[in-house]
Amino acid sequence: MTKVLVIDDDVALVKALRIGLTARGDVVATAPSGTDGITQVALFHPDLVILDLGLPDLDGLEVCRRIREFSDVPVIVLSAYGDERRKVEALDGGADDFITKPFGMAELEARLRVAVRHSAARAGHGTELPTTLRVGDLEVDMVHHMATKSGVPLALTSREFELLAYLARYAGKVCTHHMILKDVWGPGYGAESNYVRVYTHRLRKKLNDDEGRLLRTVPGIGYQLVADAPDPP
Amino acid sequence: MPSLQALNGTYRRAVVGTLVALAAQGVLLAVLLPFRSHLSVATPALVFLVPVIIGVVVGGFWAGALAAVAGLLFYDIFFLPPYGNLTVHAAANWLALLVYLVVVLVMTRVVTQLNAARDEARRREQDAGRLFELSQALIGDIDITELLDHIVTTVQTVFSPRWTALLLPAAALPAGRDGPNLSVAARAGQELSTDELTSLTASGGQIRSLGMDRRASSGRVAVALVASNRPVGLLVLQEVQFARQDRALLGTFANQAALAVERAQLQEQALRTRLLEEIDRWRGAMMGAVSHDLRTPLASVKAAVSSLRQDGGALNDADRAELLELIELQSDRLARLVTNLLDMTRIESGALAVRPTLMPLDELVDESLAAVNGLVPRCRVHFEAPADLPLLEIDHVLMGQVLANLLENAARLCPDGSPIRIGARSSGTPAVPLVEVSVADEGPGIAAEDRERVFEMFSQNGGGARSGLGLTIAKAFVEAHGGTIWIDPAVERGARVVFTVPAATNVAQHA
Repeated sequence: MTKVLVIDDDVALVKALRIGLTARGDVVATAPSGTDGITQVALFHPDLVILDLGLPDLDGLEVCRRIREFSDVPVIVLSAYGDERRKVEALDGGADDFITKPFGMAELEARLRVAVRHSAARAGHGTELPTTLRVGDLEVDMVHHMATKSGVPLALTSREFELLAYLARYAGKVCTHHMILKDVWGPGYGAESNYVRVYTHRLRKKLNDDEGRLLRTVPGIGYQLVADAPDPP
Repeated sequence: MPSLQALNGTYRRAVVGTLVALAAQGVLLAVLLPFRSHLSVATPALVFLVPVIIGVVVGGFWAGALAAVAGLLFYDIFFLPPYGNLTVHAAANWLALLVYLVVVLVMTRVVTQLNAARDEARRREQDAGRLFELSQALIGDIDITELLDHIVTTVQTVFSPRWTALLLPAAALPAGRDGPNLSVAARAGQELSTDELTSLTASGGQIRSLGMDRRASSGRVAVALVASNRPVGLLVLQEVQFARQDRALLGTFANQAALAVERAQLQEQALRTRLLEEIDRWRGAMMGAVSHDLRTPLASVKAAVSSLRQDGGALNDADRAELLELIELQSDRLARLVTNLLDMTRIESGALAVRPTLMPLDELVDESLAAVNGLVPRCRVHFEAPADLPLLEIDHVLMGQVLANLLENAARLCPDGSPIRIGARSSGTPAVPLVEVSVADEGPGIAAEDRERVFEMFSQNGGGARSGLGLTIAKAFVEAHGGTIWIDPAVERGARVVFTVPAATNVAQHA
């Protein structure tokens, strides 16, 4: 049972989501505006928030930032715009994933499960960084800077290791090029997304993940490390 | 080559000067003659200098020279013994005669030069004045069409040719004036004959100066306007008589005109670029809004359908019914959006025709409630209107759409089932009767700064959830009826949209 909060002003969509998610066994709360939604996050303690970017009172990006001020709850952003820029902004601002309207319930449910599972794994670590990160059969040893896949050690350069460690730390979350560059390469970077492309390509080779099922590409946005890729809807 | 008028002037001045000088010589001769035995040899020589000076000053060098010759003859014949002939005896008298000659010559020369310098100064001053006058016309902030007219009129006034024409390359013509390679963009003075026009434009589009040579005879003069090494136009003066400095003056002016034309052209280009950018931005906003508006109902339909298909077993009957109803309503909403889009296209292309009929307001309300089909439950709508409200003179299809759009907005923004109030009252004058209809909800309302913008096409952020086409269509249809639509600023809670429609004269609804 997952507690889901839907923040959206479109009555019809909220109704469809409430019925659909309830039928799947989730507990659903709804909020028709941004301010209402922020309050609900504090009161209802949802396991996951579905947030529409176009709200009548506050900008969705602003709502996301305000939620992040006091909560680590995974946020999936609904966007009706085909606008990559706003998605990237939302992800940079703390959202975990996005889904573009219109979408099927199965797809939403899959995204929802990934976000909840990884956020639970992250929460298990507590506030201190764990010595070992596990994403599926992948194990990242932060102390010895070593990674294994199904128990087999991977030969990684130090940059490759750092990239993998970063994605593993935020497993389940869509990490934008910008976020990855800033954290793995350093604060002076931010626009050189081709670096990330080159290194993810090498990582995939070494992870034996040429199809990108483990290290998913989110086109035009960034990358996401997923334990077991959701079944195709 | 001096112009004919200038020539006349000089000639007349010389003649007048000569006559005056000779008359003065004659008068002085007559005055001095009785006393010649009492006078020294030098006195008449000095006296005869006076008419020479007058002659030079009034008539120029030749008048002075003639006066000097006359003075010399008078002096020699009447005042140097022996009198009555040109013979001179005494050596001293020879000397006096010689001195007279030298003085006269030197003086004539000096005075002539002074005169010339004065004339030159005056001419320069005149040129400077004309140039100032010319350039004054170029510095104002005027559009290019006006500028071109200004250039030719000024040239026409200053140089008075038969006509002046300004030719521009076709590519550089201001919007709305087009033609062959090189065509007349502005002209002044007499009308151009067809032959002249052909000879102007048939030059193969070449911009080249012509007749600006100092030795060229009077006739057609063409000046190329060149700015930043790029020819921007050609200034043509037909049958112009140039005074001495006029060519240089025209050249200088042409340079300034070229700069001004280029600047105006650049300005126009910048304006056009800005306009294109604006259109692009608007088109982007429109695409975004259309896709937003179309995807919103689609999103709920798809979510509901996928629920029904995949989790059919987990849904109870009530849920299933609710989802099905939702799908139907959202499909209707989608259909209305498409209608709105088509209507908008009709409005944009000017194909909107209003076919007014007489109709009571309550019937219109019924019609629009049917149009929003179930999205707005009847029980939420509170309709109040005075019993003596006149019949509306409206196109009921268009006006029904207006009311439907307003009702749909109200219902969508106030999901809690709060009432939607439709009100009406008579307004306008007995001659032009109007009915003011209002739709009020208790939703989030519209911020004061957005009250104008919500009616703009796709005011995405301004209207918040009230975005999209609904209000824009409403405004267009109301205006097509000659009415106005606005957001009531005096409402504290919710929003109240008010619009006026034409009403029938003297026909009460329930009469």
